[in-house]
Amino acid sequence: MDWVSTKATKYADVPYEEKLRLFLEVKNDPRYEDYLYGCYECGICVSACPSARFYDYSPRVIAQTMAREDVDRFYEIMVEDIWNCAQCFSCVRCPRQNNPGGLVTLIREVAVRNGLKEARDVLQGYSRVIYKVMLKGNQVSPDMLQPDFFPDWGPWVREFSANMDVWRQAIPADTMRGVTDAAWRTDEKTLRELYTIWFETNNIDIVREVDEGLYELLLDVMEEVLEEEEVA
Amino acid sequence: MANETVLIIGGGPAGMEAARSVAELGYPALLVEKRDRLGGRPDEEHYAKLTHHFRDAEEMIQELLDAVTSNPNVTIMTSSEVVGCEGEAGNFRVKVRNGASTEDVEVGAIIVATGFQHFDPGRETQMYNYYTFPDVITLADLEGMLKAHQVVRPSNGQTPERVAFIQCVGSRDRQIGNEFCSKVCCGVATKQAIEVKQQLPDARVFIFYIDMRMYGYWEPDLYWPAQEEYKVNYVKGIVSEVLPKGDRLLIRGEDTTMGRPMEVTVDLVVLSVGMEPSEGTRKVAKILDIKQNKYGYIEAGGPTGVDPVATSRHGIFVAGAAAGPADLDDTFSMAGLAAVRAISAIRRLNLAKAV
Repeated sequence: MDWVSTKATKYADVPYEEKLRLFLEVKNDPRYEDYLYGCYECGICVSACPSARFYDYSPRVIAQTMAREDVDRFYEIMVEDIWNCAQCFSCVRCPRQNNPGGLVTLIREVAVRNGLKEARDVLQGYSRVIYKVMLKGNQVSPDMLQPDFFPDWGPWVREFSANMDVWRQAIPADTMRGVTDAAWRTDEKTLRELYTIWFETNNIDIVREVDEGLYELLLDVMEEVLEEEEVA
Repeated sequence: MANETVLIIGGGPAGMEAARSVAELGYPALLVEKRDRLGGRPDEEHYAKLTHHFRDAEEMIQELLDAVTSNPNVTIMTSSEVVGCEGEAGNFRVKVRNGASTEDVEVGAIIVATGFQHFDPGRETQMYNYYTFPDVITLADLEGMLKAHQVVRPSNGQTPERVAFIQCVGSRDRQIGNEFCSKVCCGVATKQAIEVKQQLPDARVFIFYIDMRMYGYWEPDLYWPAQEEYKVNYVKGIVSEVLPKGDRLLIRGEDTTMGRPMEVTVDLVVLSVGMEPSEGTRKVAKILDIKQNKYGYIEAGGPTGVDPVATSRHGIFVAGAAAGPADLDDTFSMAGLAAVRAISAIRRLNLAKAV
């Protein structure tokens, strides 16, 4: 055991070697050395952090844990803490020029790449967002406001979703009036470019790690569109 | 006429630098040292490299030694102790004992450079077991190992995998009576942590601290490189006890900024012992009848409070760690100033008489 708190180590069922492997995957990222110098625990990042006000989350603990190479605590952070970060990067005001938000990005990427259950759980609610972004080039569209989605958006979601057409009509601009499955129009050339990017950057493979069903769905549509182009 | 000779008591860095300065300003310096050789603590305790320039300690001491031995204005008396003092500024009559014989010398001014000694970790309220566990050592012990390139566990001669420094041992502690900060240990421990990593790149090094006092350039020269290049782990929280664990050591403390109690198994524990006035400093203060502060250091500051080398007696000055915890930068600054003040005191008396 590398670093022992007298309190019981959480996730003791996960082998140390597995935790170390994930830790090293983060540490060996080429961006890592620009994101973490050293931490003298001043707390300015916590003071600047909006998430820290509302959640049990501290960017200082992220930086400190990584600097100490505390592998057990790292695993806890990967499973619990990092998902509370809003990625606003207010923490980059660090006088040592650390980037705790950047460390969170790296750890999340490793969690997703490795298909960690926690990553899948967190991303489940975002399947529709991923679907829209990757397939339609839109981030959100009115029809995503369904009664049971995004409970954190508040009680009005039900009301809005029930009368979506009416709300959409109320938007003064007449473009897209009556259209509820897109927020804006993305032309076909742009879509083909987007699909090519998803393949070239291996983003599509990351989707497979967290949501196999979504991956199949995306793959069918995207391959068809790209093949059409080749035929043409 | 005031006697022009300046007596310097103590042949460490402060004393040698003061003697050199006096001599180079054209006045005779009499350097009295209790040991049979000059060099002071860095020589006696086999310092490896100096904080904070990483200069070789032996080389620096040799330079000072060459400067005082080659200057005809400096007279050196080793194995000698000041045992009595009468008179006043301009005309001090000082008894110097060398073995069985005692010599009377006349001097115009005196610089006390009798230094410090390391805190004895046997006298403490924490349970660090310095005298029980061979693998619990002090900064001074590790300094000798680093100099010999032999950083090992004394218990078995093996290379340590994990080394832990415990800061503020004997400092900032009301129970011990040393409420002061010893000023140099943060820098020295950090310097040593870097040297350990240079000599044993695979070792993991921890520093358990209350506050890291890395003033001025110690921050970019020591603290940041230790964290960023050498991956030294700084943990805010002082260890409460060191216990045996198999053939290793278990240290128990609080990891305060992570909000949890902790236990870490290590192979070598280094106690960052602070400074106390040396036995010589306490003795000489009595002989010269100069005021000491509550910790036994010679009280400095003078009536203005901003003269770091003035003592309670006119014509007697202090340099280096005899006046309180000091690093080498402090010591050299004080030594030069003390030389100037001593010569000024003599010249002022002689100018007044000439008028």
